Amino acid sequence: MKTLIIIPAHNEEANIEALVKDVCRYKYDYLVINDFSSDSTAEILDRNNFNHLDLPINLGIAGVTRVGFKYAYDHDYDCCMCIDGDGQHQPSYVEPILKQIEAGNDYVVGSRFVEEKKPMNARMLGSRIICGLIKLKTGKKVTDPTSGMRALGRNVIKEFSDSMNFYAEPDALCHLIHKGYKVSEVQVEMKDRQGGVSYFQSPFKSIYYMIAVILSILFIQ
Amino acid sequence: MSVGLRIGLLVASLIAFLFVLVFVIKKKLNIKYSIVWMLWSLLSLVMAIFPKTFYELADVLGIELPVNAVFLIMIGLLYGLTFYVYCMISKHNEEIVKLTYEVSNLHKELDDLKKK
Repeated sequence: MKTLIIIPAHNEEANIEALVKDVCRYKYDYLVINDFSSDSTAEILDRNNFNHLDLPINLGIAGVTRVGFKYAYDHDYDCCMCIDGDGQHQPSYVEPILKQIEAGNDYVVGSRFVEEKKPMNARMLGSRIICGLIKLKTGKKVTDPTSGMRALGRNVIKEFSDSMNFYAEPDALCHLIHKGYKVSEVQVEMKDRQGGVSYFQSPFKSIYYMIAVILSILFIQ
Repeated sequence: MSVGLRIGLLVASLIAFLFVLVFVIKKKLNIKYSIVWMLWSLLSLVMAIFPKTFYELADVLGIELPVNAVFLIMIGLLYGLTFYVYCMISKHNEEIVKLTYEVSNLHKELDDLKKK
């Protein structure tokens, strides 16, 4: 199976080299997408001859992953997988997740909470609300809808690269379940952020994200 | 509508019309998008010259003051126009993602060729 690992990177000079070298060990094709970084990410990618795209403008995470899906679609990959460039996602989980795709699933999410218990904090409260809504809409139980570590089969790659109406991971996940794609989860561990800044710095962004995801799940997907 | 309001509306719509025209001539506004603005200023011109139509409209809608009918129409038009702008933004967003992909992909292929 022709597999591509997509690594979005925005200002990740601290992590990216070690991460890509780690990913290389698994002998899959990979593609680093440099989202117009202002630090030396581009030079690091060039110097190491890593397979990468340099975007001429900053698209943000949703746009970057779509560029990755378009690339995977154009280059006829059967399967692709997203790993964040900030080192939160560990490449050692790539294989177990891809095995699930080979087993016939269309979409596999690396979830932190298949076997582990979900902690109690504000972020996880948001996660619980989204889980509840997805359960309400589709009847299927998911444990970690916000996880960005996911693998896509061929038909999902096509759908994701074509459609603009996915706000983030949770509503995309909901859409796939609703449409009857085979979705599964694999237990993974994620590290704390090693460098860089989170997208959710301000509470307004988190609130906006929650509202957008909730509306999208309820009315659009 | 009072005479003052009618004169104000007349002057404002004439200025608006000229304003749009100047922007098109100076090539700061695409003629495609200027049409709606020109029609709008002409509409307010009509309002100023023939306020009777709005008296009747206000009556049909059960609005006591005809001037409120004018506001209602204006707000409705603004709403429609803003929504149209949002649709265009979405479309352009989509096109930007596509172009960004194409540009970066071509760049990469060029680099790969150079290395060979």
